[in-house]
Amino acid sequence: MDLGTIIWNTVALFLTLCIFSFLYKDNPFYKFAEHLVVGVSAGYFAIILYFNGFIPKVWEPVTQKGEWWYLLPTILGMMTWARFSKKWSWISRFAIAFYMGIAVGVAIPLEMQQRVIKQLHATMLPVHFTNIQGVWNLLIMLGVLCGLIYFFFSMGHKGVVGGAARLGIWILMIGFGAGFGLTVMGRISLLADRITEIHNWYLMVTKALWGF
Amino acid sequence: MSPIFFYLSSWFDFNRINVLVILGLFFAFVFYFINQAKKGKSLFVRRISGLDAIEEAVGRATEMGKPILYISGIEDMDNLQTVASMIILGNVTEMVARYDVPLLVPICRPFVVPVAEEAVKQGYIKAGKPDAYDKNNIRYISDEQFAYTAGVNGIMLRERPAANLMFGSFFAESLIMAETGFSTGAIQVAGTANIHQLPFFVVACDYTIIGEELFATSAYLSKEPKLLGSLKGSDLAKFLIIIILILGALLETFGITKFSSWFFVR
Amino acid sequence: MNFYERLMNLDRRWVYLVVGIAVIIPVLNPFRVPVYVTQEVKAIYDCVESLEPGDILFLAIDYDPQAMAEVHPMAKAIMRQCFAKDVKLIISALSQNGPGMAEQLISELSKEFGKKSGIDYCYLGYKPYFSIVILGMGQNFRIPFPTDYYGVPLDSLPMMRGVQNYDDVKVVIDISSGNITDYWIIYGNGRYNVKLAVGVTGVMTANYYPYLASGQIFGLMGGLKGASEYEVLSKQGDRAIKMMSIQTTAHIVIILFIVAGNIGYFMSRKKKIK
Repeated sequence: MDLGTIIWNTVALFLTLCIFSFLYKDNPFYKFAEHLVVGVSAGYFAIILYFNGFIPKVWEPVTQKGEWWYLLPTILGMMTWARFSKKWSWISRFAIAFYMGIAVGVAIPLEMQQRVIKQLHATMLPVHFTNIQGVWNLLIMLGVLCGLIYFFFSMGHKGVVGGAARLGIWILMIGFGAGFGLTVMGRISLLADRITEIHNWYLMVTKALWGF
Repeated sequence: MSPIFFYLSSWFDFNRINVLVILGLFFAFVFYFINQAKKGKSLFVRRISGLDAIEEAVGRATEMGKPILYISGIEDMDNLQTVASMIILGNVTEMVARYDVPLLVPICRPFVVPVAEEAVKQGYIKAGKPDAYDKNNIRYISDEQFAYTAGVNGIMLRERPAANLMFGSFFAESLIMAETGFSTGAIQVAGTANIHQLPFFVVACDYTIIGEELFATSAYLSKEPKLLGSLKGSDLAKFLIIIILILGALLETFGITKFSSWFFVR
Repeated sequence: MNFYERLMNLDRRWVYLVVGIAVIIPVLNPFRVPVYVTQEVKAIYDCVESLEPGDILFLAIDYDPQAMAEVHPMAKAIMRQCFAKDVKLIISALSQNGPGMAEQLISELSKEFGKKSGIDYCYLGYKPYFSIVILGMGQNFRIPFPTDYYGVPLDSLPMMRGVQNYDDVKVVIDISSGNITDYWIIYGNGRYNVKLAVGVTGVMTANYYPYLASGQIFGLMGGLKGASEYEVLSKQGDRAIKMMSIQTTAHIVIILFIVAGNIGYFMSRKKKIK
């Protein structure tokens, strides 16, 4: 085990404990780690964009391959910076309109296809009581219908609509419960991973210092 | 295959004609209702109960003389939830301005900053208090999700807002923020269309605006014809979907699959 | 304040402490719990297992360090399974903090299996705006990635000769901790009909079951439990399996807290009504 690994692992451990200290209450160690992560992430993102975006997609094509047309989207991108000036902020709208136009054009048909039509097709299920699947299908149908009714804004939630909407919100809450359970699992995984890493650090340091 | 069909098929995907028809119908509904709204026809939208919760939160902050924290999610302006959030922000600012309560708006994306500034400024102008607008209260924190979260948590702990309003697109940071807000004793109202984050808001906030209610709230508040028209159009589309689902399930139950297979996309 | 009210107003730091202890004990005294395999995870394993040597699998490593604990074992097990079967890999990392982690995984496993960049695997690296990258790769991998992560042009890599787009890969598996998965479903599957399976964090899992039911994805691994199932099936690694004991003790403690909290709530409400 080299010294560098031990030092970096110790730094990681220290920062983990700084963040964990927040569980007790806000303190200077937490503040230090908080400000460090804000600064590091901003710097990291700027660098990664520069080396993975600007260099291979602007600098190299234009300067090395003479593909000057890469300058057109670059200019469009730079136009968005006009937002920082009150006088020239209108220029940025061209770039945003261009981006929005393409993004919406590509997204809407595919979103409709993948999130609505395919789901609609998958929900048209035979409902019967001859086996358990038929009953599950009925539950799925009821859930979808009542959920949709809850999100109906053209009518007040009164009478039959109100009843269905109430059932809809109950079904939503059951779904949220399942989601929350899975989240607890996820958060415990993260904690378990950190604790395991702390344990590994302890084993590593004791081995390095005392050889066991 | 006829040559004309072959020529057309290279431009037109006949397998996805159902997508075109359904999309066309949806667009027609939305355009119709936008037109109606523009003509001044009153379009009924039920009041979202979350609005009362927002007013209550502002009232509580006024009583306590502490600031209100408004978080607009972590997505950029190309996300409709952020757009809806900015509309709600404008209205919240109007309420806040009337009661002389400071409003803090930490932001995650640089593009959202000028829009938020504009929304807040307009809110103060509409309330007749343009001088109360303080640009420094709209703060860019970081693009990185957890760096932003850490920053917002810091504000919650140090400035101790009386109310936290969270509307927009949230991801894993939702629980961390809502939990920190809860621990500071702030009254919290949240809303997002990111379904997987709603459970955390439901457990940690005093009131939660669920899914599409976020867009309905922004339409209700702004009375903007485009938003109202879209909401009414999507309501009609939902009604149509309910009919299609019931019909499709009934036919499937009786072994008739032709209807449902029309909705199959290859 | 009576007992039930005290139960309701228990200082959260006690909860943290007890959960912390419940996690630390199995770390210090490890034990194993049985892992039951679900159909949605087995579908992914079966698909990878059915690939022939030389087939290409696209592995999208779309997670950040904060989700490593949950999804890293999935990526590792799949990569090991592919290398063991001589299945070639195209790997991308479309999450901004992901490229370094993917690189670490690749360098560790390529050394272990003696695999070479450009011959056995091609690491494309990171490009911003994942939706555009996913769409671009549907036409040609070279549009968003003219070179691989190490700066070598894709055309000069032996394994990429004749490989243009998703049509040339057998399956795409997206391991993710963010909404990139949505874009793989909408653009990858919707636009280019890619055969897609996903491995996601626990928080996200419930969200993707409708896509599994509709057949838009053929397999789903959810959180550390999903990862442990995959490790059991593939017999590649056991980090997630080991973690299941920690998970179990922590879950038992949390369930007890929930029960205690609810008893406190209902009993104190009953007293108030009286």
